[in-house]
Amino acid sequence: MSSSAVHFAEAPQLTGDVRLSIEQVSYAYAANPTQAPLFTLEATSFQARPSEMVAILGPNASGKSTLLKLIAGALAPLSGRVLLNGFPTHTLPPRTRGQRIAMVQQESPLLFPSRAWEFVLQGRHAYGRTLRFETADDVLIARNALAQVGAEHLSNRWMDQISGGEKQRVILARALAQQPLLLLLDEPTLHLDIGAQVDLLDTLRRLASANRYTVVVVTHDLNLAGQYADQVALFQKGKCLRVGPPAVVFQRELLEQVFQTSLTVELSSSGRPRVSVPSAK
Amino acid sequence: MRPLTLSRLLGYCAVLAAILFIVVVVALKMGAVPVSLYGLGRDLIRVAFRQTSQLSSEYRLIIFDIRLPRILLGIFVGAALSVAGTSFQALLRNPLADPYVLGVSMGAALGAIIALIIEPHVPLPPEIAALLTPIGAFIGAVLTVTAVYFLGRRQGQIDTLTLLLAGIITSSFLSAVIMLFMYTLSGGNFRGMAFWMMGDLSTPQLPIVNWMLRVGFFLGAAAIYTTAADLNLLLAGEKEAMHLGVDVPRVRLVVYIAASLLTGLAVSVSGSIGYVGLLVPHIMRLIVGSDHRLLLPTVAFGGAIAVVIADTLARVVVSPSELPVGAVTAVAGAPLFIYLLRRRIV
Amino acid sequence: MKRPLGKLRFSKTVVAGASALAFLLLCVAPAGWPILAQEPHAPALTPPLAQAPAYKDVIDELGRTIRVPQPIQRIVSLAPSLTETIYALGLQDRLVGDTDYCDYPADAQKKMKVGGMINPSLEQIVSLRPDLVLVTKGPNRLETVQALADLGIPSYATNPHTVQQIVSSTERLADLLGAADAGSSVGADLDHRLADLQQKLAPYPERHVLFIVWTDPLISIGQNTFIADALRHAGAVSIVESSQDWPQTSLEEVVRLQPEFLVFAPSHSDSAQNEFDALVARPGWRGLDAVRNHRFAVISDAVNRPAPRIVSAIEDLARQLHPEAFAPHTLDENEKKSPSAVPADGFFPAKESSRADTSQWEACVCAH
Repeated sequence: MSSSAVHFAEAPQLTGDVRLSIEQVSYAYAANPTQAPLFTLEATSFQARPSEMVAILGPNASGKSTLLKLIAGALAPLSGRVLLNGFPTHTLPPRTRGQRIAMVQQESPLLFPSRAWEFVLQGRHAYGRTLRFETADDVLIARNALAQVGAEHLSNRWMDQISGGEKQRVILARALAQQPLLLLLDEPTLHLDIGAQVDLLDTLRRLASANRYTVVVVTHDLNLAGQYADQVALFQKGKCLRVGPPAVVFQRELLEQVFQTSLTVELSSSGRPRVSVPSAK
Repeated sequence: MRPLTLSRLLGYCAVLAAILFIVVVVALKMGAVPVSLYGLGRDLIRVAFRQTSQLSSEYRLIIFDIRLPRILLGIFVGAALSVAGTSFQALLRNPLADPYVLGVSMGAALGAIIALIIEPHVPLPPEIAALLTPIGAFIGAVLTVTAVYFLGRRQGQIDTLTLLLAGIITSSFLSAVIMLFMYTLSGGNFRGMAFWMMGDLSTPQLPIVNWMLRVGFFLGAAAIYTTAADLNLLLAGEKEAMHLGVDVPRVRLVVYIAASLLTGLAVSVSGSIGYVGLLVPHIMRLIVGSDHRLLLPTVAFGGAIAVVIADTLARVVVSPSELPVGAVTAVAGAPLFIYLLRRRIV
Repeated sequence: MKRPLGKLRFSKTVVAGASALAFLLLCVAPAGWPILAQEPHAPALTPPLAQAPAYKDVIDELGRTIRVPQPIQRIVSLAPSLTETIYALGLQDRLVGDTDYCDYPADAQKKMKVGGMINPSLEQIVSLRPDLVLVTKGPNRLETVQALADLGIPSYATNPHTVQQIVSSTERLADLLGAADAGSSVGADLDHRLADLQQKLAPYPERHVLFIVWTDPLISIGQNTFIADALRHAGAVSIVESSQDWPQTSLEEVVRLQPEFLVFAPSHSDSAQNEFDALVARPGWRGLDAVRNHRFAVISDAVNRPAPRIVSAIEDLARQLHPEAFAPHTLDENEKKSPSAVPADGFFPAKESSRADTSQWEACVCAH
């Protein structure tokens, strides 16, 4: 088993409309032009369709968040392109980007806290003209978004007075309010208990198919990726080692090499792999 | 859910405008020379109908040529400082930011001092000579804003933390230079300068200066208002704002330039009046919330009301002498700030 | 096109139009309403005269040309020195207002106060309906003068840098106010006294003195000030050579230069004793011969004001620095001419004392 860069040939050929296409994207950044680049993302390629969930999986510092930012268009790739329906995400004007791509990530602390409904309404910002107030449609969409994540009862609460899990749902509702094509999440399950984690991913799965989102989730949680993702892209130190359905990617030797620990992989009845740690000797 | 609507915005503005009107009338009435409300009202109506020849002579000069221009000056200075303070608090994501945190007031003070030093050596007619101080102050402000901008950039864009640090350091440096220059000023100029630096509305400005202040205020405030919705999102976080569709570099640049312009104009005509740009935003936030589409117009009114009240007190408390208005805002502002801090509102 | 929420409907164009209108109105709102201020020197402010008022163009000491009504009946003074000058010229009846700091003579304190020198109340000045406002460069600001001009009130500025200029300034002021006789009489008296002093002090070398304005930090006066000139007239020279008006110097420098006398001009004579005792007790000051030998001279703070009374302070100082020049018989003559001179027995020990260092310093019966 060699760890080689993924080529197009290895990635599953997708039929039907490809929404998101990552083509030979690489990235490096240096704090100082004279220094050597501190981090590199080597040429990566894969594709995703509407209603599909992709998990970007790997240990810490493997380039996952960088890739997510490249997909979001927040960073410009050093080489290659990230295409959303054929348009490079980095060159999208901010307003358009706000209407197509929604990002859910660890929130900066709120300076002047607002109510949950105000927070969700922020998602409609990209749809408004410069000097305008929210319309009835905006309010409706925001309300729907909260309903879709099961947080309607939180609508009037202050953001700094709700629990972590509840906040996560409201943040997701804001992303939904953007009515995006692409929904990106950066380690969304990090601070959630197992029940909340399952809840979140069930919701994501449901929304992905109901609203035809393309969902890209960055995670290091093997089992969640295995259970919910349609495709997994496995990364180690900036290199994408394999892209494909979980059953294909979760090969024991590959996983052990990436995560540097002994693992066992079992296939469940549904065809999805389950990873566990062997019992202590 | 009650999102902001135009009617709510106009409602708040109408109430505040009414309060401002009442404050202005009271301010017109009060001063070293007593004026009756009846006489005031009668004169105002006469002037409105251009019947100047019938005006009771003694007081009209006082009211219309001294008090009213001064009150208008206070309105625009207060509004400019409050809008600038609100903008900087949003731009720098810092509730302690005030219009002077980026060094504009120090730059303006230095410009004014240099103008004062130059003035005796330059043969100018008195009307132009009186312009030297505000022009010098404004040039000083502009140069400082430009310098801080270039110091505050990273990778070609304004970076919040770097900007704040650059502003603070520039402010300190200019403050030291000002101390040096103050030393070289002769006695009378020194006291005049010290008075100016504390914030002073007592000097009537030339019409051209008043024009520039008013037009500049409207332009700057309008420019900032176009980014009001963006500022709401910026406060939620810069990364998030970008993903939500805000053009962050453009918004930062527009707000920086416009808020600095407002501060520079205000400081050029009135010195550094303190606490207004810091406290009025917080107080109005308590009343109307953090939505900048509502907050920005209301702080403009709030700042105008605050400064007119402070200036009236400055004129009246030790009559016929006057306090510098900055002293009044400091004496009132500091305890108020402590109170807000204790209540964990700031 | 979606309608905003809320019961009222506001068309965007109406709002934009209303805002633009408000904007225009506020911009053209009085920036100083020209209709009122440009009336020729507000004749309506003064009671209607029997005949049309006459005007005269004069040039003040800053080279400005101002237009003053004739005759000048109502004057506001914005500096204590100018108030004193008015009183010295006997024109105090025409003085309708002065500053909070105008305390000499005592009658000046009863005049209507208009505030400080830097920041007088324009309202108060206007309400007094003056024909002329007197200012002096230094304490008074150009902005005040300009503001008064905009309100139709002319200001006359003085700017004396030497004692001689103080005298001629007084005479010019008297001319301006139509009291040329009083002016020349006061001027002649001052000239005479100065000439007299000059003659008496001619044989004696100048005393090197340190004129102390402030002790913490140590501030003295510059060469171009009228105070320095006053010292010269009193047979002294300031050891501090500086073109700044209020130079700051260090004790080291003073010790190096070893002035023969320390000169003080306190504003309150009773606090003078305490100040000096405190000064003498400080470390470093004992290094001065003048301190060890108690060579102090205390004069009234009239020396700080460019007004006729400065000549009395000069004479007073001359006596303290050159007692040998003032033999008793000369003293009587002087006493007749300047009643404000210091009485001999109150301060000056008597003819036996030489210019040596045995003269005890006493609390000065400061001339006022």
